[in-house]
Amino acid sequence: MNPTMTAAHRGQTDKVEQSLGATTDGQSEQSLLFALPKGRLAQDSLSFLERAGLSIPTDTESRKLILPAADGSVGFVMAKPRDVPTYVEHGAADIGICGLDVVRETERAIYEPLLLPFGHCRLSVAGPAEDAGVPPSACLDVADLVDRPTKSAHLPGRPLRYMSQPRIATEYPRLTRQFFAERGVNAEIITLGGSVELGPILGLADLIVDVVQTGTTLRMNGLVEVRTILESQAVLVVNRASYQLKAAEINRIIERMRLLTT
Amino acid sequence: MNGHVPFGVADYFWDEASSRQDLLDQLMETFRGSGYGDVIPPMFEFDSTLSAQYDDRLRSGMYRFLDRDGSTLSLRPEFTTPVARLVGARLHDWPMPQRFCYGGSVFRYLEPQAGRQREFWQVGGELFGAPKPAADAEILALTATAMKGAGLSAFRLIVGHIRYYRSLLDALKLDPQQMQQLQWALERKSEPLLDDFLRDTPLRTGQRQAVETLPQLVGENVDGILSLAERHIQNRGMHEALQNLRGIVDALGGYDIHDSVIIDLTEIRNLGYYTGVSFEAVTPGLGTAVASGGRYDDLVGRFGPPQPAVGVALGVDRLMVARQRQDGDDAQTGQHRLQPALALPQGSPDALAQVQRLRQAGLHIQVDVNGWPLDAAFAYAAETDLRDVLLWEDGFQHHRRDERGDFVLLGPLEESRLAGNTVLRREELST
Repeated sequence: MNPTMTAAHRGQTDKVEQSLGATTDGQSEQSLLFALPKGRLAQDSLSFLERAGLSIPTDTESRKLILPAADGSVGFVMAKPRDVPTYVEHGAADIGICGLDVVRETERAIYEPLLLPFGHCRLSVAGPAEDAGVPPSACLDVADLVDRPTKSAHLPGRPLRYMSQPRIATEYPRLTRQFFAERGVNAEIITLGGSVELGPILGLADLIVDVVQTGTTLRMNGLVEVRTILESQAVLVVNRASYQLKAAEINRIIERMRLLTT
Repeated sequence: MNGHVPFGVADYFWDEASSRQDLLDQLMETFRGSGYGDVIPPMFEFDSTLSAQYDDRLRSGMYRFLDRDGSTLSLRPEFTTPVARLVGARLHDWPMPQRFCYGGSVFRYLEPQAGRQREFWQVGGELFGAPKPAADAEILALTATAMKGAGLSAFRLIVGHIRYYRSLLDALKLDPQQMQQLQWALERKSEPLLDDFLRDTPLRTGQRQAVETLPQLVGENVDGILSLAERHIQNRGMHEALQNLRGIVDALGGYDIHDSVIIDLTEIRNLGYYTGVSFEAVTPGLGTAVASGGRYDDLVGRFGPPQPAVGVALGVDRLMVARQRQDGDDAQTGQHRLQPALALPQGSPDALAQVQRLRQAGLHIQVDVNGWPLDAAFAYAAETDLRDVLLWEDGFQHHRRDERGDFVLLGPLEESRLAGNTVLRREELST
């Protein structure tokens, strides 16, 4: 066990207990820690919780790492969306909200009882539109290749298996690899931390795999969607141990949310 | 040469090492107390042996390498298969039941998580040749006893029965894709995915209701859940599974662990070679199971005459983390740190003879081998948190560090003053 990790975990627990006054007997009276995603889904998540009649933090702008709900029943931690499944799998948070795309990409051992009615988007393969300007650097490559793989991206209906070895820029390497592997394509995955639509423009990649909401960003960058890998929306995730150990509180939350989802 | 170690392994030393070892011993002792005999299987074996269990995840995570004669070997990823091999291949004609317990390292090429490196410690027990619910109950009860012994109070045993689900699958006659879809939904406890499955799959009314009821077969109300499940039986296998589970729950009555039991008939993840009851132990503050076990009646038969079997393995590393999170730095969990006294023999053979006598009396004593003067010994003792320094002057003179950190001469050594040295807790020493 890595001692620094343990220390960090312990520190975290201490903070929870200070801010929530959690009971120490470890029984079901213990408060819940709820992980919410920063960014795109943050506001929707909070207003959804509110509509579900759950107490939410009064001051989300606070710099405190753990925010107590207005009635003190639940603690909230604002995490990077990618980290929500990780927090929940390890039990650092009992329950959380994040995108289904992130859940499938990270593939953590967690429960996902409910899909929530917001955060709709799709994970798509996109490539340069026919009329997209091709930078000079990429043109040099074209001269060497008789049948440049990207050509197939110009034809959205054409099977992707005709591509020999596409280079694909993405923040979702696992789902991307799986999608192409299932089609027998040995894709070269270039994992980026963001702004993947730059990939084809800079000649770094032939295609991208990224989340699309309205498609505006793609169009602005001369890209068109070729395939949809996954329809995504917000999802409630629960730690496997907490699901049993704190069944009463968690079921209460699920019940309230279910009323809004069906 | 650098001092790096490969990803997934770690050094444990001082308190951490001794408390791990203590916990391992304590857990083993729990099993020994119920008649489980020690077994030490090899660290590595033929890959084909260790792959005899059917857990794909476990199999894909095995460390494999070639022996010099070209045969494929694996580091053991768990103990159950080696012990089943021993019983099947060598002890099959010894009277049943046979009980074995073990403790040591196992190796899995998986992402390290909280309390689990790629090398980690397991302690467990296996009971062979006993098919009845009383045997399953014994293993469940031992798990609870071991958890309590490790200082964990708020744990739960989540008990399922793989036969209920497998028999339901038989009844539904699904194609592999539909089966995958149902399994996905249940593994994730996902209502939307289960709805998708029900929408996409044509089922008869009774079967549909059996699937729709699955999410309700989880919780503390053991009786209620079993009764509900009984109303949706589709075939003999489901009936027998529930009968068996009821038998086990009844047999638990004598063990006082009823309050810890949660039933979950939808827990079908990581069930590998289990054929009957399966369970996991969870504890607050740790998101993963600290122990898991169940019945595996098909495994021994792969190595010899078939034998029913049931067992459990506890993760020592995870128990350590769970205990730490439960108690913080509570004294109850503070392990005994050995604080050996430092003896300065001053070159006298009599001094060494006296040290030997003290050691035989059970005291932990380290001897100065550098010919230090008293000052140097005090400085070393202060930096390494030693409390007692013994200086030979035709008999040991006992110097002890006081609260302010100064060494005070207590006079000639009295053994009783040192007696606590082997059991003193760190907190007591540091105050």
